[in-house]
Amino acid sequence: MVMVGLNSLTKLFRKTIGPRIEALGIFPSRYYLNRTLEALDVDDIDEAVRLITLARTGQQQNSRWRLVCQQVIFRCRVLASIHEKQIERIKTELELFGKAQDMRERYLSLQKTEGKAREVLRNYERRLLDQLAGSSGASPPS
Amino acid sequence: MTNARNLSIPGGLTGALLGLVAELALEEITGMEIVNGVLAVIGAGFGLVRIDQRIYEATVNLIKRVPVEPNSDYRDVLEQIDEMSLELPELRESFVKLIQAGIQAQKA
Repeated sequence: MVMVGLNSLTKLFRKTIGPRIEALGIFPSRYYLNRTLEALDVDDIDEAVRLITLARTGQQQNSRWRLVCQQVIFRCRVLASIHEKQIERIKTELELFGKAQDMRERYLSLQKTEGKAREVLRNYERRLLDQLAGSSGASPPS
Repeated sequence: MTNARNLSIPGGLTGALLGLVAELALEEITGMEIVNGVLAVIGAGFGLVRIDQRIYEATVNLIKRVPVEPNSDYRDVLEQIDEMSLELPELRESFVKLIQAGIQAQKA
């Protein structure tokens, strides 16, 4: 019964007030770093960026924070490169099979979606690079 | 004066059975996976303590998840990793250490 209570409380916390309390940035940095790595494992980049930003509070000089932040940036770049390759593939297929109007529209729509995903990832990357530059006192990358 | 203990085996078994039924019923009603939940809690606690180990595992995992083209060799992969780790000095250093450790392990 203790197990049930513990499990229920944890789940209830994570689903209800957990995110709000987390957002206050009051937990130890290790907590946010651990949660960032969990999000990174499942490629939940949005969550990883949110959590690493929260872990940043007062931790700019922390080497662990810098390393985890760089891991998120690296994954953003890898995923963006995958989308980039997809866009290239779609472009080639569009030239080969995109003569029919409906096919052409489908390819263009796919291309647009891939482009949006790539742009979102690049924005995350830029945002984190800015934070990283701020943490080392260097000027932000162009 | 003696303290007599009255132990009842059927009573104990009934209590255990009732506890099990209550736990299963709660799992059915709430849909919560108890064992997984507890493992997650333990895992999270363990992760907080062993954060450096967790970061190391994540670094290894990052390399493993770099997509490799079917016709590319290890130099292409290294080049790709090198390109993607620009402006990321600490991560790059970790990658170098991992690669060196791998080479030394192969030699040994």
